[in-house]
Amino acid sequence: MPFKDHRDFIETLKKTGDLIEVTKEVDWDIEAGAIGRRMYEMGGPSIWFKKVKDYPEGYTLYNGSLGTWRRVAISLGLPPETPVREIYRIYEERLEKPVAPIILEKKKAPCKENILFDDQVDLYRFPAPMIHEGDGGRYIGTWDLVVTKDPEMGWTNWGMYRFMVHNKRWLAGWPQPTSQLAYQLKKYYLPRNQPMPVALVIGADPIAHMVATAPLRLGEDEANFTGALRKKPIELVKCETSDLFVPAHSEIVIEGEIPMDQIVPDGPFGEYPGYRSGTMAEGVGFRVKAITYRNNPILTMIALGVPIDDSSIAASLTAGIAMKRGLQHRGIPVADVFVPPEGVTHLIYVTVKKGGSQVTKEVLEYFTARRVMVSKVIVLDEDVDIFDSGQVLHAFATKCHPGRGIWVEHYEGRANSLTPCYSPKERARLKGASVAFDTTWPPEWPQEIVPIKASFKTIYSKEIQEKINQNWKSYGFK
Amino acid sequence: MKKEYQTFVRQFKDLKGGKQNLFIKDLTPGPRKYDTRYVKAEIFRDPGKIKNGDILRIRSESGVLLPQPWGIKILEELPESVPGQPWEDVFKAVEKNENLKP
Repeated sequence: MPFKDHRDFIETLKKTGDLIEVTKEVDWDIEAGAIGRRMYEMGGPSIWFKKVKDYPEGYTLYNGSLGTWRRVAISLGLPPETPVREIYRIYEERLEKPVAPIILEKKKAPCKENILFDDQVDLYRFPAPMIHEGDGGRYIGTWDLVVTKDPEMGWTNWGMYRFMVHNKRWLAGWPQPTSQLAYQLKKYYLPRNQPMPVALVIGADPIAHMVATAPLRLGEDEANFTGALRKKPIELVKCETSDLFVPAHSEIVIEGEIPMDQIVPDGPFGEYPGYRSGTMAEGVGFRVKAITYRNNPILTMIALGVPIDDSSIAASLTAGIAMKRGLQHRGIPVADVFVPPEGVTHLIYVTVKKGGSQVTKEVLEYFTARRVMVSKVIVLDEDVDIFDSGQVLHAFATKCHPGRGIWVEHYEGRANSLTPCYSPKERARLKGASVAFDTTWPPEWPQEIVPIKASFKTIYSKEIQEKINQNWKSYGFK
Repeated sequence: MKKEYQTFVRQFKDLKGGKQNLFIKDLTPGPRKYDTRYVKAEIFRDPGKIKNGDILRIRSESGVLLPQPWGIKILEELPESVPGQPWEDVFKAVEKNENLKP
């Protein structure tokens, strides 16, 4: 059975040992973020801070919903020990059957238990954390889900974008200029000089947040894929101040609009690539019109930083499968794609059924065609297990020709401005480059000259392998 | 008791004293810490040189803290947001790039 909401998920994590409840008072100002960060770096459980300084009982913070593969497996209803390869396979399989959401009446929606309008709105009612020392502000939106809509086609986009508290009635954010939110804003709202309705959702079913990180194609609704992964429709409810729909069991929903003629500063912020890299900007202003929330609201957060954390794990899965679909759509003979969380979606492994420089160039073209979030792609033959970075490193070290196996593409206007190696000037112009490493054997080489991998399974005959395996214990080995 | 505020600049060399409009974060402890205000203010390299002034802590675009704080005297409260379009500079760069395409 899928989880009804984040609270339901928490109950399961308690049983599996993947959650620690902290009852000692913790400061929302740096302390909660620092604890969360340390725990990620120890590979530990998620943390529920039950008593937060300056805030009344019942206003709590929760860090690390899907910060390990174990918790991702649990969120999908799988055994916690499910291997990553299997999680990828099941995710991909379930995506094939989208399930449309169902609409709940407002009176049945838990996220409407409390409603604040206009002058009642005060973002400081919630313990938005100051996550890192030196950040530009208190990021209430990290493990969030931001809902916007294409007013002509009716397509609703969910994205995970950072938003910080500017003052009691405004948020400041910085969705990437190449994001789907930016696409909708630029295409529909800027030309009409119309404010863009927006809802920031905190603490929904963890799968909904994970899907919000997925680079789906334009026009695809994340709600349908959330239903696919849950194998059951997600329940949505209409907002109070717009025709947007949000997950009905969310902890907190902040409703408002992005004006086209007013901005507020955002950042800097320690971001998902693992650095705070000068992403201070004249950000997107989010004028809050209403807040709806559950009794005893749980504010979910990510103490973002170096991998592995919720962001790098969720994006590994969602981006990996989206990339595989995209490559297949282009007719590239892709076998598999893995996004190692340590590579924070900057480094991608792709295996192909047929390699060579032409295929490598086609792979690079796919990754640089539109918005470019990826800077390094290793293209490998399909005998390499790409879920084993040791095998990838070995293949890269030995098979990628330093003189003719490296392909670079430069571009401007569509680079990932959060990539730390870009200079401030490059970031401002979205200027960057991507590289593909051809780590495949040239297809024109005759079979008899292709080097044989000297591993037990590849350089010995089946007969020898069977003999060794059968006699293994007789040699005195355990 | 002097109040403490914080502001951000791209690089420390961009800092100039004198009257200017700037966004500041109120560092007063409590649930409203880091509240943002847009103000007209006079800022001073030496906080001791200003009567009835407050402390202004300064961080760079990467969040690096300038070791020595400046002084600030708030002259006027300004509206909470400023005129502008989301990603204005970036979209201009993108459009320029698109126009170069054949």
